[in-house]
Amino acid sequence: MKHIALLVLVVAGSAAAQDAPFPIAAWSRTKAAVETQGSPAERGAAVFNNWCSACHSRGPQNAPGTTSLQAKYQGSVPAALEDRRDLTPDLVKFFVRNGVAMMAPLRKTEVSDADLDALAAYLTKR
Amino acid sequence: MPKPPPGIAERDFQAALRELQGVVGREWLFATDEDVLLYRDGYSPLWGEAEERFASAAVAPNSVEQVQGIVKIANQYGLPLYPISTGRNLTYGGAAPAYSGSVVVDLKRMNRILDVSARDKTCLVEPGVSYFDLYRHLRTNKIPLWIDTADPGWGGLMGNALDRGGGYTDIEFRDHFDAHCGMEVVLPTGEVVRTGMGASPQAKTWQLFKYGLGPWVDGIFSQSNFGIVTKMGFWLMEEPQAALQVSVTVPKRRDVVPLVDTLHSLMCAHTVPSQVTVASPVMAGNNPELVRLRGSGGASDADWERFAATLSGAPFWAATFVYYGPSKVIASQWEHTKERLSGIAGVGFRETASYTFPLSDEQVEAVADKARYGIPSLNLFSSRSTPGAPPLEGHIDFSPMIAPHGEDLIALTDYTGKVYADQGFTPSFVAGMMFHPRTMICFHAVPTFRNAADNTKTRRLFETLVRGCAERGWPIYRIHPVFQKLGMEMFARGDGSLHRLHETLKDAIDPNGIVSPGRYDIWPKRLRGTRG
Repeated sequence: MKHIALLVLVVAGSAAAQDAPFPIAAWSRTKAAVETQGSPAERGAAVFNNWCSACHSRGPQNAPGTTSLQAKYQGSVPAALEDRRDLTPDLVKFFVRNGVAMMAPLRKTEVSDADLDALAAYLTKR
Repeated sequence: MPKPPPGIAERDFQAALRELQGVVGREWLFATDEDVLLYRDGYSPLWGEAEERFASAAVAPNSVEQVQGIVKIANQYGLPLYPISTGRNLTYGGAAPAYSGSVVVDLKRMNRILDVSARDKTCLVEPGVSYFDLYRHLRTNKIPLWIDTADPGWGGLMGNALDRGGGYTDIEFRDHFDAHCGMEVVLPTGEVVRTGMGASPQAKTWQLFKYGLGPWVDGIFSQSNFGIVTKMGFWLMEEPQAALQVSVTVPKRRDVVPLVDTLHSLMCAHTVPSQVTVASPVMAGNNPELVRLRGSGGASDADWERFAATLSGAPFWAATFVYYGPSKVIASQWEHTKERLSGIAGVGFRETASYTFPLSDEQVEAVADKARYGIPSLNLFSSRSTPGAPPLEGHIDFSPMIAPHGEDLIALTDYTGKVYADQGFTPSFVAGMMFHPRTMICFHAVPTFRNAADNTKTRRLFETLVRGCAERGWPIYRIHPVFQKLGMEMFARGDGSLHRLHETLKDAIDPNGIVSPGRYDIWPKRLRGTRG
């Protein structure tokens, strides 16, 4: 149920849409989750699509995590995680397993260690 | 290493873990500190304090048979279990157990959509199926049915229904427990029960008729600890031809009384089908004078009208709701609604969104108020949207339920606003949200923190609100495990006769007291000394 006190207006941010590096990278709530198979890059993109994109897609629309990171960094780094070039695998894994602020950690029944390796590789691609 | 459950020797605990591993496999038994901390409640009002609730281990079965195997071992060792489905019941406890030392039974791997019937408009799902999972399944397979999603939509159908959560679409679907039809439960003894028509082996109506024959027992498996539910059926909404979202505004503070009375009447007559939110554009915001009025505990109507006059014509109240159905029917319902409300001087009517279905993928993404159309999202959440603002760390919901009466909504906001102000919190703005057909819920998001000093203040505020509102006739409908004892104390008529009945059932159904000890303050006989 909705909590009025948490309602936020999603404000315009930067992070214009980029060309998706993999065909499944674009967030879609309307397509079935892609099986986490295939190449490591495809698997990482699928994990991102499944577990991260509802908050962290290239926004700002439908991306509260992107909005929050825009407010935090104010443009000093891209707000959308897929556009970052400064992430490290350890940093990605830390936030997935520990959460931050309103983001709860993701358990191993949600994102397995193998999936997390793939996600970290995907978000640290250069 | 995590501590064993209270009263269980380390040697026995390790033996039990080895047996649990034998049931689920090495990969799905979690017993290291690092793994067990993933089950911590990130929004705990006891974060970092000695009383914070921690699991001792977690085990993740993939089948009903594995759940039975876990229950058998738990009975053998007296091991307390704490089943979770998707583990996303944040603000109401998340994945952490009610009783420290419990072994979490993480049912997320049981995430199969077992059946969807487009003809009968039903589904049968396992505990780990999320709102996103089922929504995507319906879209991908072009099945013209809607889910009714909680907001935010990161949880699952079964867990939300069993904690009696709700959503936004038609009344037949948005009370999520009421929308279920048939369940399968592994009882604490290990026996498997199917309820309703599911008990009749050849019945073809398990997801169609709720009651079966004899006493209807489904209710005892909600907000309780009488078994581990492994399957649930739900009724799904047929995709309507169209929808129209509207806003009705009224100018004066006391106009909320006829506004709510009329909307309630229209809901009972099935003219207004959706959830109705009654919010105040005047009372929402952080203007210092507004905050002072909200915390004053009884500013007069004249005080409020004077303040409202500074806001260049903002209506005092705005009700938001949606019609679903054929366009011609919607037009008639909307026209009738306007006729019924036209007696309120200055009433305003606005159409804020309209859709014809099905929507394209692009249209789905563009829908602003997704939950009202059964579209799951996390759009509700943000830690911050203002540059430089500190992030929100968490919150728990204080959720009093009131009669659908505008004067009660005013009285409640006056009371809770003063409690907030008196205890040094910014008074929370409260809306009346008509999820159920004959009540309003008034959510207060009470902030939680990662430090004991602030959480001590939070707990004091929360306890004052729970007691004070119950004394005024507004008890809560659902509550975080840390406060479930307090919550049940507000339901103590007859010297606690309802609570005694709960524990009488517990003793009969779960003689060894292994399933979720303490959940909703229902304790097995062997642990009743630990209550409180």
